[in-house]
Amino acid sequence: MRKPIYLTLATTGLLGLAACASSGGSTASTGPVGIVQVGAYTGDQAFEAQFAASIDYPALYAVNHAGGILGRQVSLIQVDTRSDPADALAAMGKTLATSSNIAAILGPDSTSAATLVPLLNSHHLPMMIAAGEAAYDRSPYAYLWRDVPPDPANGEAIALWAKQQGYASVATVFGTDTGSQGDLPGVVAGVKAVGIKLADQENLTPDQPSYRAAVERLLAARPAAIITESDGPTAATFFGELKQLGSLVPVIGTSGTPSDSYFTPMRGAIGSANFNKYFRAVVVGNPVTNPAVTAFNASVLAVQNKLSKPVTQWENNSFSESGYDGMITLALAMDAAHSTDGTVYNTYIMQVTAPGPGKQVVYTYAAGKAALAAGHKIQYIGASGPLLFSKYHNSFGSQAVEEFPANAPAVVVGTITQAQVQALGG
Amino acid sequence: MLIIQAIGFGVITAALIAIGAMGFTVQFGLTNVLNISYAGAMTVGAFATFLAEVVHLPLVVGVLLAPLAAAALTWVLGRTLFAFYARRGAGLFEMVMVTLAVNLILQFGIDAASREQIYRFAFPQGASLHVGPFTVTVTQLALVVVAVAVFGGLEFLLRRTRLGKALRAMAVEPRLARTCGIPTARIVTVVWLLSGALAGLAGLGYVINALTIDASVGTSFLPLVLAAAILGKAGSTRGAVLAALALGVVTEEVAAVGGAAYSTVAGFGILAVVLLTRPAALAGQTAGKAEITV
Repeated sequence: MRKPIYLTLATTGLLGLAACASSGGSTASTGPVGIVQVGAYTGDQAFEAQFAASIDYPALYAVNHAGGILGRQVSLIQVDTRSDPADALAAMGKTLATSSNIAAILGPDSTSAATLVPLLNSHHLPMMIAAGEAAYDRSPYAYLWRDVPPDPANGEAIALWAKQQGYASVATVFGTDTGSQGDLPGVVAGVKAVGIKLADQENLTPDQPSYRAAVERLLAARPAAIITESDGPTAATFFGELKQLGSLVPVIGTSGTPSDSYFTPMRGAIGSANFNKYFRAVVVGNPVTNPAVTAFNASVLAVQNKLSKPVTQWENNSFSESGYDGMITLALAMDAAHSTDGTVYNTYIMQVTAPGPGKQVVYTYAAGKAALAAGHKIQYIGASGPLLFSKYHNSFGSQAVEEFPANAPAVVVGTITQAQVQALGG
Repeated sequence: MLIIQAIGFGVITAALIAIGAMGFTVQFGLTNVLNISYAGAMTVGAFATFLAEVVHLPLVVGVLLAPLAAAALTWVLGRTLFAFYARRGAGLFEMVMVTLAVNLILQFGIDAASREQIYRFAFPQGASLHVGPFTVTVTQLALVVVAVAVFGGLEFLLRRTRLGKALRAMAVEPRLARTCGIPTARIVTVVWLLSGALAGLAGLGYVINALTIDASVGTSFLPLVLAAAILGKAGSTRGAVLAALALGVVTEEVAAVGGAAYSTVAGFGILAVVLLTRPAALAGQTAGKAEITV
């Protein structure tokens, strides 16, 4: 088992050389502005690719449709982590060594953040990460920004929702893969904090042909609700067997569950009517109605041929809205700084999002760009609401509880505020 | 109570594994090709039934399409691509790499063709039956019956028919079998078809149980199939069935007692221990026969 370690060390060495050879954070001043989306396009986390698409293409459309950043069109550079942190390091190293126009990074996610964040920070590349790990709550990385709640916050919001619903006991059912496990500590801590009995904990190795024994143990514990995150096929097998062997109870998914790659297998396994009746998810993002939401949905529809079907799953999708806001923010910061160099525009990210006297509130990239060109200071309020970054570059808003009718946008059925989560210790 | 129930769950899981392991081991025992593309054949079989369902063909037709499609694929691969490499002198390891490459092509080809989506596999599950402490659906019971029937059929074929005797003779000593006038080419064809058909059935069983289908189902299932085939001694259908039973019951018991996360660990732990104590399990059939017969 030493081979992967040697491989990682060798890769790191090569990246070091690449870093020495590259030009740090400076970018080309002509040609398209490169925005890197780093994510899992292949491997066991490849389902994330459709989430990334639902962020990248609408945001790209919004920026380029408004004339681009500083008059330059934005091009998307996709870096595939192959769902593996070592592969991610190699792929990103290669991209950094061969591309001179990279201005910002969307990502990395939980799978590859540990290896990529230090590398990207050393290259002075502002990154809007999608990793919820607590390690980034008080991050020392100057170029790291996060506009999604940390994992514990999502778990705590789920526990608060369970408490509001009057569930006396809950069980957790989580995949053992890295992506699924991130929310579990927050869920367990939150459940205990709100005084709900944790009746059973099941951790499922993904893609097994059966989980019947785990289902029977869960049924024996008689939970009033189940809190869950796993990949779609694993969930389908587990909950399909739960339906066969016993009876369904309300299921609360984490922010990692809402997507068609989860819903379709689940609907197939437990039936669409049961899914509509029992399944809710607590998702990142503040359920707001503002012009930014309208702009986001319009952008989604404009690029729908590039998104997985049905397109309705991306309209009003809180996760996608947060990612979209992240890219719009980065673009506005570049415009405000008159530079695509990370060392220059990084501090402007806070400036274009923080409230302040005399600032013009804008909800779209086009409006923000126009206001900046007119000499105004701006506060961008996004489709996920205001982005209020802390000194650790974390913006942490309310979370929505949603239900998911078939072939229709998600419906918000509740809200857990940041204040509620913080009161719980988040 | 849960420990007893887990035995029943284990038998159902074992039935799924056994169908795949029997198909794999019969082919491996005869051809000496560690055929990783068996995973792709399982996926193709499952998708054949899925597509039949999409176009609203009768259920029986859909079920039959799984073994037929996988058998056709395996036969074509065996008689063309694998035979080509064997004629050019590919060794055992090279053939493994060829089959691995074929599997990747199949998996990612299907992935692209299916637009990288996970689909629900709406196969009728039938009513839940309560037999003592055990709860099974009619379909799960049918899977067990199919596994038993496949086992019985294979045993009959291998031990009671001329074809079976010829097949066993070829597995032990292919050159001598050819010298004795056994139509080896025909036997190999039968084995590719048989192995492919069982791969298709196994893939179908897997997705019936999992209720979803995507391009990786065969690759997800292959480790358990391989483990049972290796544990049961290559070429032995009885061994494959016993190994599948052991894997199925142990993984479910460990899931019941220690947690589902440990079930796979336990299953492959058994494989590691058996190979430590009986390293000939894999080589047993092939020790005297390093020749590829395709």
